[in-house]
Amino acid sequence: MPVLELLVGGVLLGGLYALMACGLNLIFGVMRVVNFAHGEFMAVGALATVSLVGGMHLPFVAALVIVPLLTAALGLLFQLVILRRLVDGPMIMSLLATFAFSTILVNLSILIWGGGYRGLPDVLGGSVQMLGVNVSLSRLVAFAGAMAVSLGVWWFLTATRFGRAIRSVAQAPELATISGISIERMRTFTFALGSAMAGLAGVLLAPAFASDPQLGSRFLIKAFAVIIVGGMGSYPGAMMAAILLGIVEVFGSYVVGPVIGSALLFLIMLAVLLVRPRGLLGVGMRV
Amino acid sequence: MNSIAFIATAAVAVLILPFVGSEYAISFGVQLLMFTALAYSWNLIGGYAGYTHFGQVAFFGFGAYVGALCMGAGWHWLPAAVAAALGGLVLALPLGFAMLRLKGPFFAIGMFGMARVFENFALGFDGITDGGTGLYLSPVSDMRQIYAAFAVLALGLLVATWRLDNSRLGLQLLAIREDETAAEALGVRTSRLKIGVFAASAIAPAAAGSLYATYLAFIDPATAFAPMTELTTISMVLLGGLGTVFGPLVGVVTMSVINELLWSRFPEIYLMLVGCVILLAIVFMPRGLAGMARRRSLLFPVGREGLRRLVARRSPPGMRTEAALG
Repeated sequence: MPVLELLVGGVLLGGLYALMACGLNLIFGVMRVVNFAHGEFMAVGALATVSLVGGMHLPFVAALVIVPLLTAALGLLFQLVILRRLVDGPMIMSLLATFAFSTILVNLSILIWGGGYRGLPDVLGGSVQMLGVNVSLSRLVAFAGAMAVSLGVWWFLTATRFGRAIRSVAQAPELATISGISIERMRTFTFALGSAMAGLAGVLLAPAFASDPQLGSRFLIKAFAVIIVGGMGSYPGAMMAAILLGIVEVFGSYVVGPVIGSALLFLIMLAVLLVRPRGLLGVGMRV
Repeated sequence: MNSIAFIATAAVAVLILPFVGSEYAISFGVQLLMFTALAYSWNLIGGYAGYTHFGQVAFFGFGAYVGALCMGAGWHWLPAAVAAALGGLVLALPLGFAMLRLKGPFFAIGMFGMARVFENFALGFDGITDGGTGLYLSPVSDMRQIYAAFAVLALGLLVATWRLDNSRLGLQLLAIREDETAAEALGVRTSRLKIGVFAASAIAPAAAGSLYATYLAFIDPATAFAPMTELTTISMVLLGGLGTVFGPLVGVVTMSVINELLWSRFPEIYLMLVGCVILLAIVFMPRGLAGMARRRSLLFPVGREGLRRLVARRSPPGMRTEAALG
């Protein structure tokens, strides 16, 4: 078994899971909404990147800026028109709304981009030597970008005044209101930020993997697994769990094949749900 | 006696259709009855016990594969469907024991993940299931038989729900939905009840999956575990009215008619439009059609109306938000 190669592959994959899971986690923490449409924001991001870079020949860096703004706008629209009215109601409403929105986005993507796989083989091609292992450049960039943004958002949440206001809404909404923080505005901003992070994950993923409109749901359940294993609402937990599950998936796929290998993640998720529902580093939210 | 009249009318309509209707009407009827069975099953666990179950399609797909494999081994479709139903029950008991310790979003995600695990297994164990290619079955000559089986399933669940709504058991489930800890303190055996209801709500989807596979004469993982089945079922219950006797039926009929119209007019963007309809229903009719009708005191008979109102009154808006968080 090429242990080192698999290990590097797993860590690189884990970086993308981390970015996905952090956005999902942020939205859950602040809004108490499980966003079933999060994966679709990523798929839309990836496919839009293919169109911008592959079709319109814009530089990849331009996509890094344009696409997150696009998905943020999409998220903003959904939050302002639909989700805003549902977050204080029973949980089933917001769950079903995001589920329905994900269906809309999947089918809209199929309508726009067709159902097939698309990729960007010419962008960031080639590979570099790392730890004696050949690593493809696109995956390395995806990992580095995803980690940088995840850590950047974490810094923003812990170190800036605005970020702390967002966290106060997640931890003590009543006290936040008393302190003059507009919960509504924080939620809207958070949803847009989370959507932008998902879109960015899509951009980073586009050169490294083939994308199709169904990509979202495949990544989403892995991101769910990550935040459950890491602990819902815990930012460092999600990042650790993302790397861990990336490694598990790559090793699992090598040993038992890709389909059952990715099922391993959910089995780990279910085991964690049963043994320790608040996850490895969970904040001890009421279960 | 309003309820009995309602059930009788529905039963007569269902019985007459295959003899007067065209081929198209029968296929529409099959879909309608299948979703009726799914919606009433979901209503048991999602509506009465208040658990947001996003994995019903796991049992549907499991039943479809059990049935398809039995039929592949030369069984008649009816015993295959019974085997699927029993398989669903046997699967749901340990699964319920494990999963029902989770609440709220954790249960929703856990069951959603479970459905995807099943789908992956169906894809991965291709020695048995033929993976993504799917299994082909020999078609049944007379669709009316399948129709009749779906009708029995749907009517059975309708009657069961009606009996449940007027029973001590139904009230205990509502107590779990409103406040599980308090229900436990009052002597409701919550764990046993939850697992029982969860298992009971898995029987019909498994049977329906098997019948649906028979009806299509084909099954593959994408059809068996389609998230769209899940979404449609839940939104039908929600549109009609969660935890009511006739709400799911009203929701199924309304939604099926709308979906059928959309399908015939705009086949390319059909699924997108269904998503939009669901969003509209959630935003504008959160209590469902039954809730609206009841407020205007139309013909919706609901058991223990007074008690329900009492339950509703005891949780002021602030508390509701708290409960939704938990």
